[in-house]
Amino acid sequence: MSSPFPLLRLPRLVLFDVFKSLSIGEKIKLSICSKKIYTQFNNARLYSQKVIVALDMHYQNIKVYSEDYKDRFEISIRFIIGMSNDPDVQQYQIEGRTVLVTFYLERITTFWKDYQEGFLSVIPYLLMIFRGKIQTNTYYHSYQSIISELLDLQLEFRKLVIEFKGLKHQNLRFNQIFNKLELVEFLSISSIPGPGFRPVFTSWPQKIIIRSSDWFTLKSLLTCTCNTITLTGSHLGNEDLDEIIKKWKAGGFPNLERLEIDKLRFTNNGEHILGVNWRRELDRKVIQTEDGSKKATIRISDRSIEMSITPFE
Amino acid sequence: MTSPASSSEVKYLIESSEGNTFDVSGAALRQSNTFNAMFLNIGADGPIPFTDYNEATLKKVFEYCEHSVNEENYSGPKHQDDLSKWDLNFFNEMDQKMFIDVINASNFLDIERLTSYCCERIARMLRGKNTQEMIKVITLPTAEELEAKQKVEEKKAAAAKKVAEKAAETAEKTETLEELPVQQLVQTTRNKLTRKYLSFSNE
Repeated sequence: MSSPFPLLRLPRLVLFDVFKSLSIGEKIKLSICSKKIYTQFNNARLYSQKVIVALDMHYQNIKVYSEDYKDRFEISIRFIIGMSNDPDVQQYQIEGRTVLVTFYLERITTFWKDYQEGFLSVIPYLLMIFRGKIQTNTYYHSYQSIISELLDLQLEFRKLVIEFKGLKHQNLRFNQIFNKLELVEFLSISSIPGPGFRPVFTSWPQKIIIRSSDWFTLKSLLTCTCNTITLTGSHLGNEDLDEIIKKWKAGGFPNLERLEIDKLRFTNNGEHILGVNWRRELDRKVIQTEDGSKKATIRISDRSIEMSITPFE
Repeated sequence: MTSPASSSEVKYLIESSEGNTFDVSGAALRQSNTFNAMFLNIGADGPIPFTDYNEATLKKVFEYCEHSVNEENYSGPKHQDDLSKWDLNFFNEMDQKMFIDVINASNFLDIERLTSYCCERIARMLRGKNTQEMIKVITLPTAEELEAKQKVEEKKAAAAKKVAEKAAETAEKTETLEELPVQQLVQTTRNKLTRKYLSFSNE
């Protein structure tokens, strides 16, 4: 079969099966052959491979992984300057933009006028070919607007890492991000905001971990709808914990499956939680909601508490 | 349908687009889910009309089915490198036109193993290539060709819809599948496939 193969004349379901047989990199390389092929990938998306689209902000790469991490492909985002005379560069269309591309075995490099244009073109492009969610493992303030715009496009994040380091004042972009957290599965916040900046949670992810969480107030925690809450370096105390558990018993935190708080400010002078001495009587105690629908096992060690919740059988 | 003594030796008559008929074993035919949906439990009086496909294509498809009758149960697509010498010869001796006809027939007859091997073979044409090299391997239809293809599909779908409506009316009257003529059963199944295809188009 030496003559060119009429791929798009195949029955649609057969074409989708051909797509399924290709690796992530082959799918991406084939999709940029023509808009017609990209459209067919888009049509086949409901049946397409599930992937993780990982943003590597440090090296300006987008890594696409299969869910089992056995198959992967990388797309580098680079500035266009100085590339036009490179003989290996080829020109293709991505998201309606003409882009220079160089090919390697397990990656391609794409050249853009700036990183923002590159990330905001390539990520939606990929998520029209594959079913998947975005993941970030590091955070740079310069990427704040990219993340905000991806959330505005209603694209879902598997994991989002945020740092406040260096921020001294209220930040509009952060407010926009915190307004769309229902699109985030797992949010990790790993630094303390400056004194002039307090993020306001107007939506919540499914899971949240806040490191150095002394800035995260009881008032915020009481509005949290996450199913997993982990606070390290917290400054909450006995009374706060008493209020949290009482709210849960009364039917609050309806989604909560696991709560972990460490560096609690427990006092050792006989103060009580739920009317019992927290050190002697609360560890390993099983409590239940007032309506009897759920139970929680409490573990206390040193200055930390874990609460694992299961429905009553 | 002929009726030899043993059920495993049952032969069915297949009719091609030229009006020619030839025998296929029941065991081979059972690899076609389309056949299973239509005839497995009710049998067929007279030749089974797969008249959208020519004799050479149907014989090629059922040659594959006859060969794989004795192979172990199909357990999902195989990588091309795992294909037997027989499988490789089977594919290598086809020209492109025959290969495409076989894919189309296999797709209609819903022969999972053959369709997946064909798909793997196409995927292999693209494997290890960059975009520029892929463009050389495949032809892309022009806008006019795509438009023409869409018109044909729309025309077919409209015709299929009419026939399906008529068949539904008749089916209501006939009540049981056993009483439907073979030709109509084929058409009904074809309509179902058309609707399945259209539902993909509309997504």
